[in-house]
Amino acid sequence: MSERYDVAVVGAGVVGCAVAREFSRYRLRTILIEARSDLGDGASKGNSAILSTGSDTPFGTLENRLVTRGHQRYRAEAPAMGLPILSVGSLTVAWNEAQAASLAEMHRATVAAGYRSAELVDRDAIYRRVPSLAPGALAAMWEPEEAIVDPFSTPYAYALDAVTNGVEFRSSSAVSSALREEAGWTLSTATGAVACGLVVNCGGLWGDKVDALAGLADFAIRPRRGEFMVFDKSARPLLDVILKPVPSPTYRGVLMAPTAFGNVLLGPTAEDIDDPDDWRVTRDGLAKLDAAARAMMPALLDHDVTAIYCGVRPATERPEYRIAAHRDRRWITVGGIRSTGLSGALGIAEHVAALAFDGMLRAERKAELAPVRVPSLLEGGERPWRDAARVARDPAYGEMVCHCEGVSMGEIRDALASPLAPRTLKALKRRTRAMFGRCQGFFCGARVQAAFEHASRRAAE
Amino acid sequence: MSAIETDCAIVGAGPAGLAAARAAIDGGVRSVLVIDRDDAPGGLPRFCRHPGFGWEYTRRLETGPGLVRRLIGALDPARVQIRTGTTVQALHAGPRLEILSSGAGAATVHAKAVILATGIRERPRTARLVPGRRPERGILTTGQLQQMIARGVPLHGKRLVVVGTEHVAFSVLLTARHAGLSVVAMVEAEDRPMSYAPVATLVRCIAGVPIHATTRISDIHGETCVSGVEIESPEGRRVIPCDAVVFSGDFVPDSPLARSAGLTLDPATGGPQVDQIGRTSAPCVFAAGNLLRAVESSGFAAIEGARVGAATAAFLGGRIGWRGQVSTIAIAPQFRYVVPQCWSFEVPGLATLPTSLRVGADLDSARVGLRHDQALLWRGPVRRLLRHRRIRVPLSSLSTRLPGSISLVATPRDHP
Ligand SMILES: Cc1cc2nc3c(=O)[nH]c(=O)nc-3n(C[C@H](O)[C@H](O)[C@H](O)COP(=O)(O)OP(=O)(O)OC[C@H]3O[C@@H](n4cnc5c(N)ncnc54)[C@H](O)[C@@H]3O)c2cc1C
Ligand SMILES: Cc1cc2nc3c(=O)[nH]c(=O)nc-3n(C[C@H](O)[C@H](O)[C@H](O)COP(=O)(O)OP(=O)(O)OC[C@H]3O[C@@H](n4cnc5c(N)ncnc54)[C@H](O)[C@@H]3O)c2cc1C
Repeated sequence: MSERYDVAVVGAGVVGCAVAREFSRYRLRTILIEARSDLGDGASKGNSAILSTGSDTPFGTLENRLVTRGHQRYRAEAPAMGLPILSVGSLTVAWNEAQAASLAEMHRATVAAGYRSAELVDRDAIYRRVPSLAPGALAAMWEPEEAIVDPFSTPYAYALDAVTNGVEFRSSSAVSSALREEAGWTLSTATGAVACGLVVNCGGLWGDKVDALAGLADFAIRPRRGEFMVFDKSARPLLDVILKPVPSPTYRGVLMAPTAFGNVLLGPTAEDIDDPDDWRVTRDGLAKLDAAARAMMPALLDHDVTAIYCGVRPATERPEYRIAAHRDRRWITVGGIRSTGLSGALGIAEHVAALAFDGMLRAERKAELAPVRVPSLLEGGERPWRDAARVARDPAYGEMVCHCEGVSMGEIRDALASPLAPRTLKALKRRTRAMFGRCQGFFCGARVQAAFEHASRRAAE
Repeated sequence: MSAIETDCAIVGAGPAGLAAARAAIDGGVRSVLVIDRDDAPGGLPRFCRHPGFGWEYTRRLETGPGLVRRLIGALDPARVQIRTGTTVQALHAGPRLEILSSGAGAATVHAKAVILATGIRERPRTARLVPGRRPERGILTTGQLQQMIARGVPLHGKRLVVVGTEHVAFSVLLTARHAGLSVVAMVEAEDRPMSYAPVATLVRCIAGVPIHATTRISDIHGETCVSGVEIESPEGRRVIPCDAVVFSGDFVPDSPLARSAGLTLDPATGGPQVDQIGRTSAPCVFAAGNLLRAVESSGFAAIEGARVGAATAAFLGGRIGWRGQVSTIAIAPQFRYVVPQCWSFEVPGLATLPTSLRVGADLDSARVGLRHDQALLWRGPVRRLLRHRRIRVPLSSLSTRLPGSISLVATPRDHP
């Protein structure tokens, strides 16, 4: 018979990982259950990587409150985990009189909602900051606190922190049914049953299906695909801020932003799709991005595209997070974390813990926690191979394998030896950035794959 | 951090770098250090086990590794040191190189001259904006496929679809045969294969591989591994089941090092701008091989390496100075690029880089002319100019001229 857990978090997206980390702060037996072989492999793997202040979410909503809180916590807690924050700030640009008028209104509302650093700037200030911007910008709102983060290391750091502090992580374990028992639930998974006192559904794109296992039908996921282009690092000098269009009530528009890895990102598009598993990059989407670049910054198109990808937002029928505590059922649903989950995760996690401790769980906070630190993948950041003394001690850090992204064999070895070892090549890419660069494996693919297969064979033995 | 001194540092141990090392020594340079980040010397050819390498340089038809052996065998180990597994992280004025390796850690190389020969890569699926899914296995470039085969990294299936029909695509056919893989189709966006017509015919007839022209990939199927591609042509769309799709050709110079060193790059080639003996815009820094432009054969790259190596020796021996005033070679709009991009009139009697000149779109019948100031120095025959063919121009006839403007023109047949 399987062991009993106090809490089972279903889904290891950025939200589930943050929630598991939150419970790891307490004397509880917590398990994080994930259907796929790696964490962060759903909605969380394809986003714009912007740490939003919350000012771009509807004021007065739960989403707004939790994103604002998530942002604060990220700034306070992420650096100690080794996660970079690029505080580049954002410019929301108006291109015509109508947009300028709604921008002025937006600015008033933003400041009134408490985001006091937001400021309206004129043409000259815009072009001073972004000389390559297409002509025709009229005005912009400047928000200095908007930042760029590493979207892959973030859920990894949360999960690693959780696991280091006692949470069990079980991957490749899709939950297929939930049986209500007196003191909680027994979940059947692909790798065996899990008995627990409380279920937290962080199923993201599949959150409605997970809720259905408990007989709940409060919301339906309406998957919304967003496509992106990542431009070569040669384009990075063009842009040192996040550039956004003035949003419409239903779509925030295509933005342009630097990435933590030294590229320039363009996207996302927005397209409602039927199947949450339809992760296709489309010719239409790419054409829309091309048109957006042409309108915002034609100079960007002189640079090669390093990557194309898409993400799918777990949106629902309503423009709001769908978080609900079903006390009688010992079930908390964390659904519809649509397009701000990366920023909001730590706020959401705190909120979920508060819901759980309000009548469903009781536990003491741990006095001591083991700290974790993930390797920095920041372009130009601290890397083992930059440290001559480290290379001298451990020569594998001097053996560069991925030349476009600057990844040494030592870093690949370390990633493969993690307690949350990557089980797929894509997971290894997300942990190290190897093969993520402009050559996409032309130079390094064979060697990186050889190292990966070798480690996988060893793990299997 | 340790410091290394050398007369000439060469970045890249491909055909260009190795041939440059030999020529530098022959020209009297005392010490040459060849640096390569890969785990063995040879550049791209070392992964291509089929014949067809080095002809222009060695006058033999060798396999890739065969050419590499010959180039390395021609080097005197007492004067040429090859360091592999060593990455040049940065190039600074001096010239000074920051290098990193597992054996020796981080070090600085002080050289009197540097030759960059960092070669090329193929543009991957992403840069070509090919839509569809993104399975982690089976989306490859020719270079990656060949390296996987050479390094014994297994592929998860046997059926390949090859995108592109430049010469290198046919290299995949040979490699695939050797490795027990089968090419089930070749896809070309243009209306005809981009390699020599006889090669394409051979492929169709002997290997039985269908070549789909005027066709592009409209979707890629598969979750973890590629399971098929959807192709789109004027006749419609259809799916070809396969295990991998190999993006071939569409080469670009691998120039991040040149770029970060602040060398003037030619937007038309993506490589450093050079004069006729390979001098870049940065003092004491030469460049050679396919870094100059994509793409010529390995033999051609070796010849460029040899000429630039000889010029480096002349420079280090004090026989010539650094590049002074140069004349830019103006090209007519029909041309895509020319290498060298500029000419130094003060260089006496040194062998110059063979010219690479290409048109942007096929011209049915035209003739190429070389002008110096008002004079027409040379006029080629009336002929078809194809995009994938290098046009030969005797730029060396400029050697006897006084400084002046230089231009390459293309005139239609009937034009006087
Ligand atoms: C185009 C786009 C741009 C975005 N830009 C930003 C941005 O700039 N800033 C920002 O803050 N946010 C952004 N987001 C939003 C952010 O990515 C999401 O809000 C966030 O990733 C949602 O995370 P999640 O954990 O809820 O969902 P997911 O990442 O989908 O995680 C759910 C997990 O649950 C697992 N699961 C599902 N069913 C089961 C089951 N039955 N058993 C076990 N496991 C299961 C899944 O496999 C998955 O791993 C963007 C999103 C998109 C799509
Ligand atoms: C799949 C394939 C098939 C081909 N088939 C043929 C054929 O049949 N016949 C033919 O003639 N040609 C063929 N070619 C082309 C031929 O291989 C190239 O033209 C030739 O290798 C170019 O030589 P090079 O010296 O300029 O560059 P490369 O061979 O590319 O060598 C460049 C070297 O520089 C090194 N380098 C780069 N940056 C750094 C750095 N920062 N620090 C240290 N080292 C660095 C690289 O590791 C590499 O070894 C083929 C190419 C490919 C990819």
